[in-house]
Amino acid sequence: MRKIEIDPISRLEGHGKIAIFLDDAGDVANAYLQIPELRGFEQFCVGRPVEEVPRITPRICGV
Amino acid sequence: MPEKFKFAFMPSASCGGCEIAIVDIDEVILKVAELADIVYWPTVLDFKDKDLEAIPDGGVTVGFYNGAVRNTHDVYHAKLMRQKSQVLVAFGACAQMGGIPSLGNFWTTEEIAHRMYDTVPSVVNPEGTRPQTTFDAPEGELTLPRAMERSYALDQVVDVDYYLPGCPPQVKWIVAAVEAVASGELPPKGTVIAGTKAVCDECPRERSEEKQITEFKRIHLVENDPEKCLLEQGIMCCGPATRDGCEAACVVAGQGCRGCFGPTDNVNDMGAKLASAIASLVIADTQEEADRVLGQLDDPAGYFYRFGLAKSMLGVQRGERKDDDE
Ligand code: SF4
Ligand code: SF4
Ligand code: SF4
Repeated sequence: MRKIEIDPISRLEGHGKIAIFLDDAGDVANAYLQIPELRGFEQFCVGRPVEEVPRITPRICGV
Repeated sequence: MPEKFKFAFMPSASCGGCEIAIVDIDEVILKVAELADIVYWPTVLDFKDKDLEAIPDGGVTVGFYNGAVRNTHDVYHAKLMRQKSQVLVAFGACAQMGGIPSLGNFWTTEEIAHRMYDTVPSVVNPEGTRPQTTFDAPEGELTLPRAMERSYALDQVVDVDYYLPGCPPQVKWIVAAVEAVASGELPPKGTVIAGTKAVCDECPRERSEEKQITEFKRIHLVENDPEKCLLEQGIMCCGPATRDGCEAACVVAGQGCRGCFGPTDNVNDMGAKLASAIASLVIADTQEEADRVLGQLDDPAGYFYRFGLAKSMLGVQRGERKDDDE
């Protein structure tokens, strides 16, 4: 199967890639969206004073 | 007309705020356009890795790298930017010292992954599925980069020429950097392009220079005097150890500094400097009393290393520490 890979998806913040598989007729057989990043906000906000969290989570996305 | 400069902007483990800061330079962007061609900037234009790979080594006049180094693809990008750029700038707190993503360095990557993919309340994952570096889908193979064991600052991976601090960097210092490039009058290698003193030196709040703190208070639980130093009122502020240049933006807005400009020139470890600055303000006759006051400061490590845990001299990671190969 032919594979078209769009990596990175550009003109956005945050990383993503798309893999599109084409069958013999050239039609889309399947497509996958992949998110290659790991940050850990879910973990590293735990235990911080709650009033600090609005100063941490904006750094998930600053656009 | 002399040949135009070539600028490249690389995002890595970042939030995009640094790139918005570049756009925020308003009409100076026209000056940038006059001065330089942008040869790589995937956040804004449709560039792929191959476009940067195709540029001859040293073919980029100035490369700006924003974000921390968190996975193997970031490592590749850091090395590629170093190879292609005559001058490499660590742009923003994440690239300079790990930034917010490096708060994750308190845990191992496995502990973070366990939280993200197994136990976080919004996730249902009974089979414990985790990202794999390769996956055999029915249609063919899929690949992903591998998360490193922790976040790194850019200069922990490659040689860096200059630093533009801040989360994000402020317009006036971005403009100063562009003007330095334009004039050819570059500062000595390793310069942090911002102020040379501490945030306290720019802060409009009054300091008494005498010992003041008898207890620490959480900012939302007290009414603070807007004319007086926050720290002296017992409200946490990282100003004494943080490089100036932001005009004490957070303090002016009524919040304590959190150190996003990184340490001043003569400070090696932000936490050590802040701990001593704070200890010197505590009024206590006995060590027990001093410990009691300092003990009221909840989560000191989260204040001292909010933006710079990757560069901390502490070995803070909990759990079983693993090392990266590179
Ligand atoms: S330094 Fe701040 S604004 Fe820049 S990428 Fe990191 S979190 Fe975002
Ligand atoms: S500690 Fe904070 S509030 Fe006090 S003078 Fe320094 S920057 Fe200003
Ligand atoms: S006051 Fe501190 S945290 Fe706020 S912008 Fe300035 S250096 Fe960064």
